[in-house]
Amino acid sequence: MDSNINEVEVRFISRMLSRLVGEMNATVCEQCGKCSSTCPVSKEIEGFNPRRLIAKVSLGKINGLLRDDAIWTCTTCLKCQERCPEDISPYDVILILRNLAYRAGYSYPTGYDDFIRAVKECGFISMPKAIRTRDRGKVSRGDLGLPEVSGPTDMAKFTVVVEGIIEAGKQS
Amino acid sequence: MRYALYLGCTIQSEQYGYEASVRETLPRLGIEFEDMEGVSCCGSPALNSVSRLGWHYLSARNLAIAENMGLPVLPLCNGCHLSFVETKHFLEKDPELKNVINMNLEKEGLNYRGDVRIVHLLEALHDEVGAQKISEKVVKPLGGIKLASHPGCHAIRPSGLQNVDDAEDPKKLDDLIRALGAETFNYPEKTDCCGSQLAVTSGRVTLKIAGEKLQAVKSYGFDGLVTTCPFCFKMYDGRQRAIKGALKDASLDLPVFYYTQLLGLAMGLGPKKLGLDLNMSPIDSVLERILEE
Repeated sequence: MDSNINEVEVRFISRMLSRLVGEMNATVCEQCGKCSSTCPVSKEIEGFNPRRLIAKVSLGKINGLLRDDAIWTCTTCLKCQERCPEDISPYDVILILRNLAYRAGYSYPTGYDDFIRAVKECGFISMPKAIRTRDRGKVSRGDLGLPEVSGPTDMAKFTVVVEGIIEAGKQS
Repeated sequence: MRYALYLGCTIQSEQYGYEASVRETLPRLGIEFEDMEGVSCCGSPALNSVSRLGWHYLSARNLAIAENMGLPVLPLCNGCHLSFVETKHFLEKDPELKNVINMNLEKEGLNYRGDVRIVHLLEALHDEVGAQKISEKVVKPLGGIKLASHPGCHAIRPSGLQNVDDAEDPKKLDDLIRALGAETFNYPEKTDCCGSQLAVTSGRVTLKIAGEKLQAVKSYGFDGLVTTCPFCFKMYDGRQRAIKGALKDASLDLPVFYYTQLLGLAMGLGPKKLGLDLNMSPIDSVLERILEE
């Protein structure tokens, strides 16, 4: 484990969070609710509400949020950030909370483990495969005359570097 | 106009209709590109939620390769585009972060300067080629076909970081659709999300979010939906059957196309070359109308 990267990551995430919290203290966010009213997830999932999330973060109450599965339901559509009259970005706050929750070892969707494994193994989250045609045939990139896919030149080195960066800050 | 072409995971591993139609049409409009050697995933959505450093590393890594090529980068995927734009922004704002990323890039023999230009396909088509020049290349106008424009979230938001198009009233894809002789008009859900990023957490809600937009689009009398984002396409086209099941709406049939597939048809190219046999939504009747004209 590279403690240097670990420290940088922790410092980096804390700085981002404090910058955001600093910018959106209770006097800045008027709780107008434009974020929640434009959020596609709020109307579907009980417990996901960007307005309330911002209120909690600005009061420093992030512990419960980090353990709440709701932070993982944002679609990252960015409407909350776009519509906020005070330039607050619930989207960025949610991504930072997710990073913190993952680092702290709280629950997160297991799909991210698959993403990480694939990126470390081949450089991508998925590799070229034969896909179905509308009339139930199957075609590959080669069948369509598409060029071969290029990945990291030195895969072993890529894996070591990426692993170092991803794993360094994670508490197990 | 010459670009470093960045495909990204989703396109190069399964969205061949998009890639094939891009490769067929862009050179005919004077847009040249080179494939990028040694690239990797952009980091979104794989890492941005769990490892900000890892996310920025992957994006900066790809941008560094484009810088080495001396070309602006053309990411075909909305997700990769925003990922690159955000990474460029955060590394610009945070020199310490940029240093850490570069210390690691050095191990792979790379260096990120931060001066690479990131261009969206809509910008290349609309701002650099232009709707007028595209319409001049049309030999088979898509007359009478009404198409809903769906630019996708990560192409238009956040307006503070990127200005591919107006975040609240995007018009470029509409202009490009009209350039092919097809019709389009505004609709209330135009800038709404396809919900695909929620698939990691809740498949059911994802299908509901996507389905309600498809139902709305259909109710306005559109013959089809057009996008340039592989995630949105995958959702509306590839998962349309699942959406119908989840919403218990057997009548929910809507043809979905990549813009470049329609562009190719309008330029007189054959459907197979444009990967139109790979669309899973019921495109055949619209396709026949286009080919008959």
